[in-house]
Amino acid sequence: MTNSMNSYKEHFQKLLNVEIKDSPADMQLIIDVNSDKFHQTLIALRTDGFRQLSILTCIDWIELNKFQLVAILMNWDTGMHLLVRTLLDRDNPDFHTITSIYPGAIYYEREIFEFFGVHFKGNPTYDKPLFLERWDAMPPLRKDFDPQAYSDSKFPKREHPHVFKAQVVEEIK
Amino acid sequence: MKEVKLFLGPQHPGMHGNYSVHMYVDGDMINKARPTPGFLHRGFEKVMERRLWMGNLALIPRICVVEPDINEMVYAMGIEALSGIEVPERAHWIRMMVLELGRLAIHMMGLGGIGGPTGMYTATYWGIAQRDLILDLFEKLTGARIYHMYIVPGGVRKDLPENFLEDVLKVVDDLEKKLPEFEQLILKHPIIHARIKDNIMLPAEVVWELGVTGIGMRSATGVQNDLRKVKPYARYDQVEFDVPTGTYSDGLSRMNIKYAEMFQSIRIIRQIIEKMPKSGPVRAKMSTGSALRWTVPAGMVYTAVESSRGEYGYFIVSDGGEYPYRIAVRGASFAQGLLGIEKYLPGHRIDDASLWMDTMGVCSPEIDR
Amino acid sequence: MSQEIKKDDRKLWEVVGDYFRANSIWMKWYCTGCGAIEMPPTMTSRFDMEQLGMGPMATPRQADVLLITGYLSTKTLRRVIYSYEQMQDPKYIVGFGSCTLNGGIYYDSYATINQLDKYLPVDLYIAGCMPRPEAIMNSFGELIEMIKRGEAKGWKHYQENYDWYKENQMYSLGEVMIHDEFHE
Repeated sequence: MTNSMNSYKEHFQKLLNVEIKDSPADMQLIIDVNSDKFHQTLIALRTDGFRQLSILTCIDWIELNKFQLVAILMNWDTGMHLLVRTLLDRDNPDFHTITSIYPGAIYYEREIFEFFGVHFKGNPTYDKPLFLERWDAMPPLRKDFDPQAYSDSKFPKREHPHVFKAQVVEEIK
Repeated sequence: MKEVKLFLGPQHPGMHGNYSVHMYVDGDMINKARPTPGFLHRGFEKVMERRLWMGNLALIPRICVVEPDINEMVYAMGIEALSGIEVPERAHWIRMMVLELGRLAIHMMGLGGIGGPTGMYTATYWGIAQRDLILDLFEKLTGARIYHMYIVPGGVRKDLPENFLEDVLKVVDDLEKKLPEFEQLILKHPIIHARIKDNIMLPAEVVWELGVTGIGMRSATGVQNDLRKVKPYARYDQVEFDVPTGTYSDGLSRMNIKYAEMFQSIRIIRQIIEKMPKSGPVRAKMSTGSALRWTVPAGMVYTAVESSRGEYGYFIVSDGGEYPYRIAVRGASFAQGLLGIEKYLPGHRIDDASLWMDTMGVCSPEIDR
Repeated sequence: MSQEIKKDDRKLWEVVGDYFRANSIWMKWYCTGCGAIEMPPTMTSRFDMEQLGMGPMATPRQADVLLITGYLSTKTLRRVIYSYEQMQDPKYIVGFGSCTLNGGIYYDSYATINQLDKYLPVDLYIAGCMPRPEAIMNSFGELIEMIKRGEAKGWKHYQENYDWYKENQMYSLGEVMIHDEFHE
């Protein structure tokens, strides 16, 4: 890690009062916060110059039984990207909207509800369908959703007289 | 007058791709507008989790159809950051050249594309024909016109073919000579002025609210917010170029910035040809053993490049296996294509809807994924 | 198509009609997928579709040929069915690329269909991902010949097997109705 990155790290540790461990790439830091401190952190960072929400997205850690919300913020003056992460309970994924902090998040929240089923209270349109129409199964980006089985059951495939299948054979030493 | 519900698109000649805007109109004034994405939704983010790291190379260019190279670049950058691979010097320069040629191609299409919604088809005919010369270069380099799969993790797929740089120079010189004619035909034409000048504005304070990046942001704020300058990737810190900006973002000024950016791309390409190492390896080995069985160390990283529409990024999560755990795509036109339409189209006329999408550069496949 | 009729059973006026139809085809401008990116070069100066007497048409009601340019998500398929049923007979469908044939690279996607001719009658497929402009031009030439010979009968097949097509459509789509985005 370069010197400037170290000074940035100290700056954010002081500003947010959290410990920062990870830096996946140059000019990029990962900040883990509790879900009740998420909004507070975003407000502090926005006033610190992170005026752009690059993306709000979600990861399904099925083995931990958690969803992880990730907000990626960007400061255009320094070119810094911050990955602000928080863990949500997978069985009861309720969260509060961040549209009052970043208005552009409104469609990301709709997307996350559609693909993961995370509820965003305070966003009046979060539960409206966006990309999918008449969706009738569980949110598709959850890890326990099997797109192959869904596709097989709903969209008939062409029947071929021969089935050609690729197979990984043991490598020849 | 009575309010009428109108579905503009997806099957409409003025519509920008397979995209639709549902609106309430009064006469031809838009009162309410709602974007309707999802016609090109293929479930990329799920399908990518089911492909090997190598197999995804064939899938990712298809996310943004008009500008596929940026996808390959962010994907490669993400994997290189996670596994700590050093890309050979020559590969960096070749990548930059491919990206800038791609930018020229999409700007050419944008300049021509404005002819569609304004009804000035000469622009389309000229723009598309000129773009085809660049596609021929891609064909010579990669074997494909649209989806190249050329930038791979660790470098580029193959070295340049013979006399390729001369061909590039020839095309670029030709383009530079013809660009003033395009300016006369398109940017100074009274039809275009009547339609997009002082119309479809993007005020500077709205930029942050929406999260618009790229030309939309630069044309409104007057700041050189270009990822190539702010956070240089490849070797953009070793070439000289200007970032055209403006403080009055109407449709025409955005088109003018597109036009000015093309000269900068040409300038970059000339410098690349001059400064590029003449020989050397172009591809670092990802891992030992079968190429199908790459593994990427566990971790997550966000990588972004400057596309023609703004910050285009991938958020890549790996759990250390042969498959990606999750890849989230930040489409560069997500902001202007969804919230921008909902908030800033009301008060405009019906025919301005497609002009907003054209001048802001809304790319529907990258919104839908 | 399963029950392809080899024998030319057209009446004289149909033969004459087909002859003239084949030389003036209006193509509906609906880009449903990736393949649409190769349509502008095909339509404009370089490959020049108009040398075949074809031109783009804005509305489905005046168009003769519907191009399915690539994969179809279920959301698009609803609109495509609407558009196809608005078109006047005789009408033809050309399917682009491997996605319309068997799902192509998106064979396991939850959002895209796998086989187009279960839902709409396809007269001609173009192989490739994506088909190059030369292939598209070639296929248009082939389509013209097929119309002249009276082999492009997808629209008749659709009329005769309307129930079968509807059943397939409902099975995969649930309903073909289109709702608006205001959620009222």
